[in-house]
Amino acid sequence: MKRMLAGALALALTATAAVAEYPEKEIQGIIQWGAGGSTDTVMRSVTPHAEKVLGGVIVLQNMTGAVGAIALNYVAGQPADGYTLLMGAENPMLYKVMGLGDKDYGEFIPISILARGTAVLVARPDTPFDDYAEMISYVKAHPGEVKFGSTGPGGVPSVINAMIGAVEGELEVTRVPYDGDGPALTALQGGAIDVMPAVLGAAIEPIRAGKMKVLAIMDSQPNAKLPDAPYVTQFNAGYETYLPWGPFFGVFVRKGTPDEAVRKLTEAYAKGAQHPDFVKLMNDRGFTLMGISGKEAEDFLAKWQQGTAWLLHDAGLTKASPEEFGIARPGN
Amino acid sequence: MEALSGLIVLFAQPQLLLLVGLGTFAGIYIGAIPGLSVTMAVSILISFTFSWDVLPAIALMIGIYMGGVYGGSRTAILLNIPGAPSAIATALDGYPMAKRGEAGVAIGVTTVMSFIGGFVGIAVLALAAPLVSDFALSFQPRDYMLLAILGILLVGSLSQGSLTKGIFAGALGIAIGSVGRDPLTFAERFTFDFQILEGGISFIAVMIGMFGVSEALIQMHHVDKRAMRQKIDRVVPSLATVRKHLPLSLQTSTIGVIVGALPGTGGDIAALMAYDHAKRVTRNPEPPFGEGAMEGLVAPETANNAAVGGAFIPMMTLGIPGDAVTAIMIGALFIHGLNPGPMLMIDKPDMFWFIVGCLVAANVFMLIFGLTGIRLFARIVEMPRGVLIPLILLLSIVGAYAVNNSIADVYWMLGFGVLGYFMRHYGYPLGPVILGVILSRLLDDNWRRAIISERGDLGLFFAGILSSPLSLALFASVILIFVSQTPLWTRAKARLFPNAQRNP
Repeated sequence: MKRMLAGALALALTATAAVAEYPEKEIQGIIQWGAGGSTDTVMRSVTPHAEKVLGGVIVLQNMTGAVGAIALNYVAGQPADGYTLLMGAENPMLYKVMGLGDKDYGEFIPISILARGTAVLVARPDTPFDDYAEMISYVKAHPGEVKFGSTGPGGVPSVINAMIGAVEGELEVTRVPYDGDGPALTALQGGAIDVMPAVLGAAIEPIRAGKMKVLAIMDSQPNAKLPDAPYVTQFNAGYETYLPWGPFFGVFVRKGTPDEAVRKLTEAYAKGAQHPDFVKLMNDRGFTLMGISGKEAEDFLAKWQQGTAWLLHDAGLTKASPEEFGIARPGN
Repeated sequence: MEALSGLIVLFAQPQLLLLVGLGTFAGIYIGAIPGLSVTMAVSILISFTFSWDVLPAIALMIGIYMGGVYGGSRTAILLNIPGAPSAIATALDGYPMAKRGEAGVAIGVTTVMSFIGGFVGIAVLALAAPLVSDFALSFQPRDYMLLAILGILLVGSLSQGSLTKGIFAGALGIAIGSVGRDPLTFAERFTFDFQILEGGISFIAVMIGMFGVSEALIQMHHVDKRAMRQKIDRVVPSLATVRKHLPLSLQTSTIGVIVGALPGTGGDIAALMAYDHAKRVTRNPEPPFGEGAMEGLVAPETANNAAVGGAFIPMMTLGIPGDAVTAIMIGALFIHGLNPGPMLMIDKPDMFWFIVGCLVAANVFMLIFGLTGIRLFARIVEMPRGVLIPLILLLSIVGAYAVNNSIADVYWMLGFGVLGYFMRHYGYPLGPVILGVILSRLLDDNWRRAIISERGDLGLFFAGILSSPLSLALFASVILIFVSQTPLWTRAKARLFPNAQRNP
């Protein structure tokens, strides 16, 4: 009993000490996706700038598997002391409705939602249609003939497809599954698929080289990276309801992390994300910088989850209704 | 002109050359430890070299890549434990040589052949990159599927002894490879509702267990036996040996470059295919394959190093990674403010030539470091087994943990080690298991993509195969290899060519 008490006391002491001079040891940064991917690139390029502001060391580590759920569950299982960060993308917000897990970013405090991507509909240069409107009429005239790349339920293409379905009615196309937008865009250049809804950042270089053409940017305004490319609301104003939409990247800590640690980390990532090198990288890859945290970030996450989960649910792609998890239909 | 300036940058700055050398040296040792992979080392380097200029960072990474691919052969030859998946085929004939006391010769040949293979890969990258990348891009899902079937047929040449047992082992591998959430639909397969199975079974854990732990367990049977003295007086192969194997090495290097350049396949499949090719074209090897045939070393080692140059081809011309390591390098280029993609060769041709230069330098360093360390390395096999066995187990555990920092992977690794031990006892070959795991996804995903693309119509699927020369050639090879392994073929041959000399 005495020993237990002493142990508890020691624990309490170290805990207060940790808060007092955070960070007093190495911080672990768990990246949900593999090395070389977009999440990895974003996190590895912002973290060194954040480290300088923080005055501590953040050791980055990739933990992949189960669409990022393994990393999320790992961080959720670590002590809420600010020494384990979760670095991920938008996917966890869909785990519950897709039946991939019972936890999402709701268990975490957003340190920073760093940036948001824009989706773009690209096609092989030699397809018989040159923009979004032509594609829609071609698909309607040739049902099942056009091959769309996809990346499994919950991925960017599935959300864009659900959006197109909601606005235009279900399109009869053949959807060929790939395990990521990189391999799908490779297949597009090799002629295995015709159209791919991709993240702008992954497609920008081949677009620049004329290896693929833009049918429409899935946004309600022109994009600075591709000022001449058409955006989808030019063709159909029905998209206004759903846009802007895009995948995002963020840094999170568990709920219950001491305020001091949250404050210091938030400040570090907010300043780090303003570094010119990082800004340039994000611009080059066509990402929109956000740098939001706290209440603003939580509202963003909630709104994103509502819109996307219901879109997928209405397209019949979810395993469970968003209602079961208390996710209200947008506008209600 | 640009070519010159890119190359000169490297050789004019000793510190860059030094970094390539340092990387190659480290790579050989990283590659030699099972579980410590080049992929891992390069991804750690991204953070480590963040504040550096882009040139030194790339120089170091390329050194590690080249060295690491070669390093995997070391433990494959000395301990029968491939340091990397691309060295699996190397163990088949390399280890029997070490058991005969010829580890020095085996490493010597491996080093020189890796060097030759590496150069063929670099030469193709430098001279024909756009051509090869167009060819690689033209592979459709059905072609990848046919390639995977070709790979599956290698079970025949990897199974020493019973073919039935080999097929069983291969099928087990395919089943292991399909455990977990299907990446295309997220449906769960063979998970039995266990969360631990959702992420699938780490392929590296299976490999380390099957080769490392099972080897340690087998060795325990002979724990008292004296280790074989290694002959290390002549490690550099003679010019005659090199010349004798030159035709084969050029063929297998070609296999390596092409398989390496295909996005989605890498050095591991290249090495196994090259081994199979060597087995087919070599007449009467002395000693036979599986018992220490020199050709069994030449083929996989030229192919996996040629695959390095191959993997850079789609990366440099299109910004598409040829394998896991080049995928990370693309990330590194982004971080350093470059935009890898089809325009990189046009915007920054000097970068292309700098990378070619680094590869050349790394290849030369690999030859130097490879040949100088042999004497020391060969001593490893002479260690008493009481020291060696715990060392193997320790390396296996560290390696399995390091892949995903997951203790579950260590349990998998140990479980597969015990399974592998019993399989070996009952004469089941382990090579096909690993082959099955490697090819499982390639076959499964691409079959589905191919048939979905044809809207489920088998007729259209075969029409597609017959209308594309590439698919047709692959399909014909599959049929030929398959038929040639059945008794039908020998009978048909006897009838068709009654006077032809019979090859034993």
